[in-house]
Amino acid sequence: MDLIFLQLLTGLAGASTLFLVAAGLTVIFGVTRVVNFSHGSLYMLGAFIAWSLLSRLPREPEYFVLGVLGAAVATAAIGAVLEVVLLRRIYRAPELLQLLATFGVVLVVQDVALWIWGAVDLSLSRPRWLRGAVEIAGLRFPFYDLVLIVVGPAVLGGLLLLFHRTRWGLLVRAATQDRDMVAALGVDQRVLFTSVFALGAGLAGLGGALALPQGSANLNMDLSVIAEAFVVVVVGGMGSLGGAFLAALLIGVLQAFGIALVPKITLVLVFLVMAAVLVVRPHGLLGKPQAMARGEVEALAPIRQAGPALQLLGAVALVLAILAPFVAGPYLLSVLTEAAVAVLFAASLHVMMGPGGMASFGHAAWFGVGAYAAAFAAKGLGAEMAVGLLLAPFAAGGLALLVGAFVVRMSGVYLAMLTLAFAQIAWAVAFQWVEVTGGDNGVLGVWPDSWAADKPTMYWLALLLCVGGALVLRRALFAPFGFALRATRDSALRAEAIGLDAHRLRLAAFVLAGAGAGLSGAVFAYAKGSVFPTYMAIPHSVDALVMVLLGGVQTMAGPVVGAVTFTVLQSWLLMGDFWRIKLGLLIIALVLAFPTGIAGAAAAAWDRWRGRAA
Amino acid sequence: MGGMMLQVENLHAGYGGAKILRGVSFDLAAGEVLVLLGRNGAGKSTTIKALMGLLRPTAGRVRLDGADIAGWEPHRIARAGLGWVPEERRVFPELTVAENLEVGRRAPADGRAPWTPERLFALFPNLADLRQRPGARISGGEQQMVAIARTLMGNPRVLLLDEPGEGLAPVIVDLMAEAILALKREGATVLLAEQSLAFASRVADRAVILETGRIVWDGAIDALLADTGARAKHLQV
Repeated sequence: MDLIFLQLLTGLAGASTLFLVAAGLTVIFGVTRVVNFSHGSLYMLGAFIAWSLLSRLPREPEYFVLGVLGAAVATAAIGAVLEVVLLRRIYRAPELLQLLATFGVVLVVQDVALWIWGAVDLSLSRPRWLRGAVEIAGLRFPFYDLVLIVVGPAVLGGLLLLFHRTRWGLLVRAATQDRDMVAALGVDQRVLFTSVFALGAGLAGLGGALALPQGSANLNMDLSVIAEAFVVVVVGGMGSLGGAFLAALLIGVLQAFGIALVPKITLVLVFLVMAAVLVVRPHGLLGKPQAMARGEVEALAPIRQAGPALQLLGAVALVLAILAPFVAGPYLLSVLTEAAVAVLFAASLHVMMGPGGMASFGHAAWFGVGAYAAAFAAKGLGAEMAVGLLLAPFAAGGLALLVGAFVVRMSGVYLAMLTLAFAQIAWAVAFQWVEVTGGDNGVLGVWPDSWAADKPTMYWLALLLCVGGALVLRRALFAPFGFALRATRDSALRAEAIGLDAHRLRLAAFVLAGAGAGLSGAVFAYAKGSVFPTYMAIPHSVDALVMVLLGGVQTMAGPVVGAVTFTVLQSWLLMGDFWRIKLGLLIIALVLAFPTGIAGAAAAAWDRWRGRAA
Repeated sequence: MGGMMLQVENLHAGYGGAKILRGVSFDLAAGEVLVLLGRNGAGKSTTIKALMGLLRPTAGRVRLDGADIAGWEPHRIARAGLGWVPEERRVFPELTVAENLEVGRRAPADGRAPWTPERLFALFPNLADLRQRPGARISGGEQQMVAIARTLMGNPRVLLLDEPGEGLAPVIVDLMAEAILALKREGATVLLAEQSLAFASRVADRAVILETGRIVWDGAIDALLADTGARAKHLQV
């Protein structure tokens, strides 16, 4: 009985900090329509700043409060700067680019935090009053848990008062519904947006500061909390504070009991609950269907078949690629092998993102499932490489069918957040299920059969499978299936009116994309000889997005160009210390400078040049 | 009537490559109700949006009481004294009627007595009982009234009304006409975009007719009513 109570209390306490983060996220989304990926980074900064303040301040309760509030205010100020410098420039950009740009911020903040606070986990030496317990009805409750349990509802109440009893709150609610109309009534949106962003950031910072005494400030908290906050916000309903509160309670308590009872499958449990909620209520517990934001529907240029010039260029590149082993050294060859894998990885993401209109933030999950399937075939079954290569796309595609069945019902940011959450869970399974996956140590010794053991042969095999796979995907997109898919993307309603089954088409694209990524993962596993959970981690999913973005979403050559460019960049520019900050700034610069990608910009320039020549 | 409140000179604007306005010019005197007439697609709404800064003019000048506001951002134009009532009304669906009005509240730039919710409920008696009703749960006519009242809460010097009678029952259209006449008696300056000459003739002092992005007729509303040739040429479908 005591244990259950204590566990419930722990759950409720955890729910409070989770609510603070999710509330900030949902408030920012409500007004700006930006899903702020860097929200977890603000949470992390809140914890680090709180550590710096609290470890210097006297250890009395009043100074603790002061330090925590100071950390929240500092984080709010950082949020305001972030909004003015970056967010303001991307409000009208497509959702995917907003997510990517704010992920760039995640990378930058990670390196900045590493530089300031170092790589060691920083925990607070807790004063006696913080460690105490309170006796209620014969049971001893940890004092700080009770504090946290009070903070959650108190902040909810404060926010509701702020939004419903002040003019600022009224304007924010109005802007959530129609921001252009609010501007036409004389309200400066910039001031409103900056202040909302600062409030959201401050809430994240407060959450981080309050979480510090029970854990530590460390460099992993940003991504772990953002995945949870996404789940909470989606389950609660985007933009709904009450929903975020309910969902945070649900998830927090579920996690506390999960960890106590079935530690290994806690995250899977969370995902199942989310799935169940979304099947019954597709817009979350208290969410409403998203109104189409005004003036944001942009017509996409149709994807064209490559002209003769581009086809020739592609053929030349392919011949060069085939001949490469005769001149390339072993290092270059391994980079080229990675590039071939990246081509299929990016092309498979492109299938669902470009023509499918579904931006996945968890594409690495399928890559990883494919890689683990290959590892399982090689180590678990002791089978030949062919078995692993065949098993991988089916394993990844099969799981994609299962997950996709309800993920593809969503669209836009919901889909991006759900795929991210799923990938995070897949990563956690790989990380925690040590008996099968080897956990962090990975699976080693996944070597190709002896006939493909030498580097050039493995490279040719990779080229054959990956470029071949990408060509198959390309073929599918210019088949009736591809046209139907694009019709569904452009107008699901009209597509259904002419007899297309939007759900099945989207699901088919999702599965196809998953299978393609799975194959690329298997090839990668054999080429590297090992499989690690990082294959499934968020940064790897983002790599794929950057490749597609680099190349351009609405061109067929885009993912190929992007994959090769990115692999080369990664091998030379992005090595060594502080690669995150370089990659982060690269992503931000890309989003700001080339919202249509390199291939997209090149295609536009080509059209202009031809237009002038004609 | 005082001096010129709004002077539009050679206004050009469009969407992307499509040029809609090709040099629109007209004046609006203080205390005057001017109707902007024209067929579908002539550029009436586009003119209003370009004045409001929702569409950036590519050329031309817009003087509001002397200051050139062309190219300003919408919120600055609103603060300078243009009040816009959109054709689609755009009432905030999840705010109550009273809250909708509050969003529009802004102190008058000059020394006039400010609009208050009470004065507006006197102008639109239908709204008085709906104060706590969400914007999504009132009729189209009531939404039109809320949209006008919300804009008036900002005490604009010029009211831009985009087809206030569109899609409404005749009895509500009558209420709209009466409200505009009441505003006129208070000395309001109004620019009305309208398709219906019948409605326009009840409230307007003067009319300008837009055709393919240019003003093709400008004069007193009575003169237009008498000029069957101009009406046939520019307005009949």
